[in-house]
Amino acid sequence: MAPSNPLANWERLGDSFYRKVPIYDAIFEEDVELENYIIAGAPYGGAIALHRDESKPYRFRDAHTAKSSIDIYSCSGKHINRLNWEFGTIRGLGWSDKEELLVITEDGTVRRYFGLYGDFTSFSLGHGAEDYGVRACRFWTSGFVALLANNQLVAVSNYDEPRPKLLAPCPEGEVSSWSLIPPAYTLSRSVEVLLAVDKTVYLVDPTEAEDKVLQNGPFKHASVSPTGRFVALITAEGTVWVVSSDFQSKYSEYDPESRVTPRTVDWCGDDAVVIAWEDEVHLIGPNGVAARYYYDGTVHVVPEFDGVRLITNDTCEFLHKVVDVTEAIFRLGSTSPASVLLDSIDLLEKKSPKADENIQRIRPSLPEAVDTCVKAAGHEFDPQWQKRLLKAASFGKSVLDLYNSDEFVEMTEKLRVLKAVREYQIGLPLSYEQYMRLTPERLIERLVNRREYLLAIRISEFLELPADRIYVHWASQKVKVSAVDDDAVCKLIVQRLEGKPGISFELIAQAAYDEGRAHLATQLLNHEPRAGKQVPLLLEMEEDEIALDKAIESGDADLVNYVLLHLKTKLPLASFFRTINTRPVASALVETTARGQDTELLKDLFYQDDRPIDGSNVLLSEALEATELPRKTEKLQLASRLLSDSKDPTVVLQQKLLSEASQLLKIQEVLDKDLADRSEFLGLSLNDTVYRLIRSGYGKRAQKMQSEFRMPEKTFWWLRLRALVAKRDWGELEEIGKNKKSPIGWEPFYNEILGAGNTKLASLFVPKCTNLPAEEKMEMWVKCGMVAKAGEEAFRAKDVNALELLHTRASGPAAAEIDRMINQLRPRK
Amino acid sequence: MAPYPGSDADYFRDKARRDLLNLLEGVRGKKNLAVSQDLAGPVGLFVKFSLLQEYGVDRVFLLENGNVDSSQRNVVFLAHAEKIRQVRAVAEQIQRLQRNGNVEHELSIFWVPRRTLVSNSILEEAGIIGDVNIAELPLYFVPLEQDVLSLELEDAFSDLYLQKDPGSIFHSAKALMDIQQRHGYFPRIIGKGDHARRLADLLLRMRKELDAEESSGLAGLSARGLLPSASTESLIIIDRQVDFGSALLTQLTYEGLIDETVGIKNNQADVDTSIVGPTAVPQAQESSKAPQQSSKQGQKRKVQLDSSDQLFSQLRDANFAIVGDILNKVARRLETDYESRHSAKSTTELREFVNKLPAYQLEHQSLRVHTNLAEEIMRTTRSDIFRKILEVQQNNAAGSDATYYHEAVEELIARDVPLKTILRLLCLESCMSGGLRPRDLESFKRQIVQAYGHQHLLTFWALEKMELLQPRSSATTMLLPTTGGAQPGSKTNYAYLRKNLRLVVEEVSEKDPSDVAYVYSGFAPLSIRLVQCVLQKPYILSLIRGGPTTTSTPIPATVSSPGWLGFEDVVKSARGATFSIVQKGDDKAIRARQTISGNNTIKTVYVFFLGGITFTEIAALRFIAAQEAPRRKIVICTTGMINGDRMMEGAIEKGSFAKFE
Repeated sequence: MAPSNPLANWERLGDSFYRKVPIYDAIFEEDVELENYIIAGAPYGGAIALHRDESKPYRFRDAHTAKSSIDIYSCSGKHINRLNWEFGTIRGLGWSDKEELLVITEDGTVRRYFGLYGDFTSFSLGHGAEDYGVRACRFWTSGFVALLANNQLVAVSNYDEPRPKLLAPCPEGEVSSWSLIPPAYTLSRSVEVLLAVDKTVYLVDPTEAEDKVLQNGPFKHASVSPTGRFVALITAEGTVWVVSSDFQSKYSEYDPESRVTPRTVDWCGDDAVVIAWEDEVHLIGPNGVAARYYYDGTVHVVPEFDGVRLITNDTCEFLHKVVDVTEAIFRLGSTSPASVLLDSIDLLEKKSPKADENIQRIRPSLPEAVDTCVKAAGHEFDPQWQKRLLKAASFGKSVLDLYNSDEFVEMTEKLRVLKAVREYQIGLPLSYEQYMRLTPERLIERLVNRREYLLAIRISEFLELPADRIYVHWASQKVKVSAVDDDAVCKLIVQRLEGKPGISFELIAQAAYDEGRAHLATQLLNHEPRAGKQVPLLLEMEEDEIALDKAIESGDADLVNYVLLHLKTKLPLASFFRTINTRPVASALVETTARGQDTELLKDLFYQDDRPIDGSNVLLSEALEATELPRKTEKLQLASRLLSDSKDPTVVLQQKLLSEASQLLKIQEVLDKDLADRSEFLGLSLNDTVYRLIRSGYGKRAQKMQSEFRMPEKTFWWLRLRALVAKRDWGELEEIGKNKKSPIGWEPFYNEILGAGNTKLASLFVPKCTNLPAEEKMEMWVKCGMVAKAGEEAFRAKDVNALELLHTRASGPAAAEIDRMINQLRPRK
Repeated sequence: MAPYPGSDADYFRDKARRDLLNLLEGVRGKKNLAVSQDLAGPVGLFVKFSLLQEYGVDRVFLLENGNVDSSQRNVVFLAHAEKIRQVRAVAEQIQRLQRNGNVEHELSIFWVPRRTLVSNSILEEAGIIGDVNIAELPLYFVPLEQDVLSLELEDAFSDLYLQKDPGSIFHSAKALMDIQQRHGYFPRIIGKGDHARRLADLLLRMRKELDAEESSGLAGLSARGLLPSASTESLIIIDRQVDFGSALLTQLTYEGLIDETVGIKNNQADVDTSIVGPTAVPQAQESSKAPQQSSKQGQKRKVQLDSSDQLFSQLRDANFAIVGDILNKVARRLETDYESRHSAKSTTELREFVNKLPAYQLEHQSLRVHTNLAEEIMRTTRSDIFRKILEVQQNNAAGSDATYYHEAVEELIARDVPLKTILRLLCLESCMSGGLRPRDLESFKRQIVQAYGHQHLLTFWALEKMELLQPRSSATTMLLPTTGGAQPGSKTNYAYLRKNLRLVVEEVSEKDPSDVAYVYSGFAPLSIRLVQCVLQKPYILSLIRGGPTTTSTPIPATVSSPGWLGFEDVVKSARGATFSIVQKGDDKAIRARQTISGNNTIKTVYVFFLGGITFTEIAALRFIAAQEAPRRKIVICTTGMINGDRMMEGAIEKGSFAKFE
């Protein structure tokens, strides 16, 4: 069969061409009355959801069809699934680009169906949606905006963690039409909404609603182009306007010459607008040129980013702009090198020598011609033409000496994949561009969602992509549907997946558990290599101890804490402690978390564990935190009482020191009352208390405290010395100096007093330092400025050299004195 | 071979910066940033405030201050998700903002280093998880220097040894996985200490998990991580627990002493302006983040201490004894350089001089800062108290009978020397000689609580839990050199190791050091000796045999004996597990790699100090690295910088009986 003319469905629109490619036929059965249905198609040739439009009357056939439902079909009309619907009026039906179906009901409940087979999660819009009701919704690839009946707009921009957000409040008035600009194309990086109210249009973003001040409203339709650059509006008079999305310039105007307002306005790529009535479609290009298509039955338009899918009962067609490469080859009278190259294939087959002539003619631009043919092959839907174009490319490159064939090879691979998924049994009519944007990984995901495991695995092997998710999905389904006993299923799955890398048994186990097969789930979990992954599921399965062990095994403190948090709320305290007792890591973490947060828990823990010192320490901490004195002492006593039974010497000491602490506090309270107006002593350490007492001149009391607390003599002497120096109580110091002996020696006295600058007093202590060598004493004297005294020291030591050294530092009478001593020492000559 | 040509330090710095800025960019418009205290410093290491401003950050708050205001609609929180306290703080702040703000806030949280399950449940409990945008900032290694990567986990030490919280081991493992993913697996993991063992086990485990994930395409398509690295020689993990002793000594290098006296945090020291002068070096000011501090604290100035300061890189690792000399030399050189302007004759010469002028000025400035700093330190080191402390320390380190010095310690207590210092001395003695005699310990306990307050009963308890300060039990009194006691490895036997690894090197020259012992003026840190046991076997052997230490450059190892080989018995006397694990890969692939890369490349050794490293140890490792330069490169990794004071701070009870008004 000769290939169909590639120009067959071309339509000229201004400078460019559009073509309508028939992809599938016999889509829906006769009794599906498309005019009564709301249709939503998933992007990238995805599934189509049909829901009967409840505002329209329909023919009653039987009870089954009378029930409200959402039907999911593939593009080729294969019925994938039916979702029975009994949750209220649907106000929004749309898809995300992961092919998740979103259904929004009037009361603001959003259901997200993933996997096409009825698994769903749901959340609520909030923000008064329940009270006012949702009027309509608009979708983009990863989110949607709902218009409430009070003109409020609620945006959801992420389905994994949905966070419905209110956009800026909009003006009162009748919303005649609206549309949104996806966040990727706005300056604010948030979704923006065009709201046609009364005669004008408002641009609403999260912070404000801006009036674009138009006069030709109320606009019956508004639609934003895929890249958010243009807006198509239908004015009150029924003309179509294409304006820039900032409403600054108008690009085109078109009068469809029809009284009836079109049912839908969509964009075909970024350059043309498609307006559709029941059975008529207008394609409007730049400057108001248009092409018109007529149908026998109802036609539905499903927009894609590079064209539109037109769906009727009989056919599914793809209307898009002819890309440059294709145009260059097939356009009538084209003389482009690629076109010539394609022609030479014919000639070659006829064995005509002109083939070579042609080649020689385009020789200089042959590489481009080959490139063009390869690219054009990609954009072609008909395998016959794909082959021809590739053949031409292959012929062309065989003539070239050097040509990088990578693109050629890749293109053949891509085309193989595309052909496989375009088959009507699969029904994914992806265009080349769409495939590039969708990426092979997500294409495989879609196949998996359709349970086309074999094809998915084949493709992933062909493209060398990881296939583990396919296996996991398969296994999860297996777990759900298989009726045989648990052991058999587990064996089957493990057998099948053996040696396949990266299989997440945790996900399969989750599926098994969700299905109520707990035993199977545990069995499957044993095959999961990643301990951390098992934990949440184990918790859910109430396998607490195993979960805790696995968490500890993973070394991840967060996981352990998470399990502990969970167990603490769930278990009675006693069994909680029993669980953690045997696991030191767990009890350490419980202790750390509880510290400063839940001291009661700590006390219980230590009590149960028989750790009196720890328990007493908790009370000590509490005593420190308490603000009132009675409370402090009470806690201290409690802490001390906890230790009272023990004979262990460390514990005994601890207890003794604790009671000492309360004793000290008591005395300090008295001191505060007697000596100070405000709290001055309370809370100080014993040493500081004594120091302060001496400094303030209460030596007697200080002494009393020393004996009361059996403070070492040395410590007391040091404290007294430092306090008196700080007080500059030279008299008292001198008095002390009259003692015969000091337990800390006299050197510290010298040092401290000298440090305070009293050289005279300091010098008094030099002679008392009897056990120091002469040199040091000399230095001490010198530091006090008493060189002569230093000289005496040297003289006593009979050290002439030192004397001479001192001589250089001395002046006046001291110098004379030293001279004298030197002379005395020197043997007379 | 690495996909990214730069060093690890550059790579991690760039990555951290890129990650943070990308996240900030994701929050549109101006925003206020609330950073937790322990992240503010590290963030300042790789991004300047001016750059944050470019990305719309208006004001920066410290999370702990709890004063985030409503001046911006967007508020971004940056906090550790693994620290439950911080998570709660974030939750409280958000609730506060929501309660009393009349502005509707756009709230974001960037969890460092990952979003945790516990953080989720806490936010959920607080009822705000639906109102915030949550993202992750995978911040692990922050480069302090080209050869130092730190996790900058302030609490790692007390977490590990006091709270027994293994979180930082996991954190370290993740960070090391980053390195492995970049270069391939460490062909060998050598380590000492129980926590080190745990870390190694985690690494092995994570590798297995990654293998499982990698082939599934979750971790990208690159399969190269499956191979042992060709550019890495090994990873050496040293658990701080093995050698508490060295870290308790006063560091005697220049950088170490700055750390001891002033304190260095995130490469910055807060120095009194009376010492270094009020005018900040423009460079230092620029890189110091946290603008709210610069205005307030007029008395303190942040001094940037890193290799961008040339003079400092000359000084930092030198023993403090010779710092004065170096400074003098530099001062004289600068002077002559500067005077050269008079000898400049032609205009070109003059222009040359003018061109160099900014460099001179910078150098001059840094000279002034360091001279003043050194003088200030000198003032401390000359003091009577400092000398007493040092004497006690040195004698402890040298292994003389410590009880002899108890009187000195008692005097220090009576003189109200900071508690940290006292405790360091006691802990040092306890570590070095296997605990204090119970009677001595009791008497010290009593004196210390009397001197510093009875709340320190808790401090003692904590120290005991950390096994820093213990009574000598009957089992450990018999620390006989050869037998090693009943359970070898439960405690580090310094007495034995001192002899068998020559920890004390009296004759080391500070000016022209021949051994790492110079960093403590005659004591070689055990931790470093352990590293040397792996890297410099011939040298250590010659040391032990008592041969003269004239062979300052060790004989190149002809037979590379890997791991602990040759030192197994010696190393057993240090605390904890000893291990050496070979990570094998596909044999064919290894051989292919070897042929590709050749055998004569300089390989990298990663030395990881779990629980913290001191500046002196870094200096010592650099000293080794310089000797090993023709054969290998050493990259130092750690959970954070530590010194004796910081070790004590983890244990010291902060509360007191005094009422706070």
